[in-house]
Amino acid sequence: MLNQVLHAIEVYLRHTPQGEFLRTAVWGWPIFESLHFFGMSLLIGTVGVFDLRLLGFARRIPIAALHRLIPIGIAGFCLNFLTGICFISATPDQYLFNKAFYWKVTFITIAGINVMIFYARTFRRLLDTPPDSPPSIGARLAGGVSLLAWIGVMSAGRLLTFFRP
Amino acid sequence: MESLYIWIEATSLSTWLRESPSLWAFPFVLILHTVGLAFFVGANVAWDVRVLGLSIGIPLDALRRYFRVMWAGFWVNAFSGVLLLIAYPTKALTNPLFYAKLALIAFGVVLAFRIRREVDGFGARADESRLARTLAAVSLACWIAVIFAGRLLAYTCTRLTVDFPC
Repeated sequence: MLNQVLHAIEVYLRHTPQGEFLRTAVWGWPIFESLHFFGMSLLIGTVGVFDLRLLGFARRIPIAALHRLIPIGIAGFCLNFLTGICFISATPDQYLFNKAFYWKVTFITIAGINVMIFYARTFRRLLDTPPDSPPSIGARLAGGVSLLAWIGVMSAGRLLTFFRP
Repeated sequence: MESLYIWIEATSLSTWLRESPSLWAFPFVLILHTVGLAFFVGANVAWDVRVLGLSIGIPLDALRRYFRVMWAGFWVNAFSGVLLLIAYPTKALTNPLFYAKLALIAFGVVLAFRIRREVDGFGARADESRLARTLAAVSLACWIAVIFAGRLLAYTCTRLTVDFPC
C-alpha cells in the first residue's frame, strides 16, 4: 500500500516541469547544488549563530539585535526548499526510497517543531532579559536542539548518495 | 607529480578512505567538510552582512567573538579537506578548478582580516566606512564562488585515480 503510494508520487514528480527541467538542463544540477550549499550557509550563518547565542556564546550581543539576521536564514531555507523540491522531482526514486532522505526530513521536522515551541514559549520572555545574563534552561534547550537538528539535516543530506536504492 | 599520486594512493590511509564500506570513512569526512563549510562560510556571511549595514543593532565587538566560530569551521575543513585530498589526490590535483578554489579561499581569508582591521578603525560606525562595505560585498561574492568551485569539482574532474578516469 505505502509502496504503491510512493510509486504514484514518483511518477507524478518525474513529470513535473521542474523535474524535467533539472534532468535536461546542462549544468543545471551542479548549479542548483551550489545554490543549495549557499542556502545552507545562509541558514547556519544566521540561525546557527543565533543558536550559539541562545547557548550562552557571546552574551554581550543583544538577542533582539542578533534576531534581525534571522530573515536571511529564512531566505536560505526557502532557497533550499525550492532547490530541494527540484532535486526530488528530477530523480524521485533516489529520494523516496532512500533511508537518508527520511532522516533528513525527520531532522527538518524536529527543527520546525523546536522553532514553533521557541516562538510560542521562550522568545518573548527572552527579549525582556538584559544582555550579559546567563541563558535560561528554555533558551539553552531551544538553541541546542536547533543546532543538533541542523547538523543532523546536513549529515543526512550528505549521506543521500551512499543510501541510493 | 605522477609518482606522487601513485605513492599517496597506495598508502593505507588513502586506500581505507576510498575503499572502506564504513560510513566512518569517506562519508564521515564529507559530512565534516560540509558542516565545517556551513559554519565557516556562515559566520563570514553573518559578519559581512553586519558590516554591510544590516542589523546595525549588533555590537561589532561582540560579533567579533564569532571569529572563533569561523576559525573552528576553517580548521575542520582544512583537516577534512586534507583527508579528501589524500583519498583522491589525482582527482583534485589534475583539476585546475581545485587550485582556483584554494586561491579563492586564501583571498577570502585575507579579506576577512582586512575587513576586521578596517572595522577596528571605525569602531561601532563600521557601516559608515565605504571601504569596509565594499570589502564585505566582495567577501560575500568570494564565498559564493568558493562554494561553486568546490561543488563543480565533482563535475569537472578528468581523472578519478591514477588508473581510472572520472
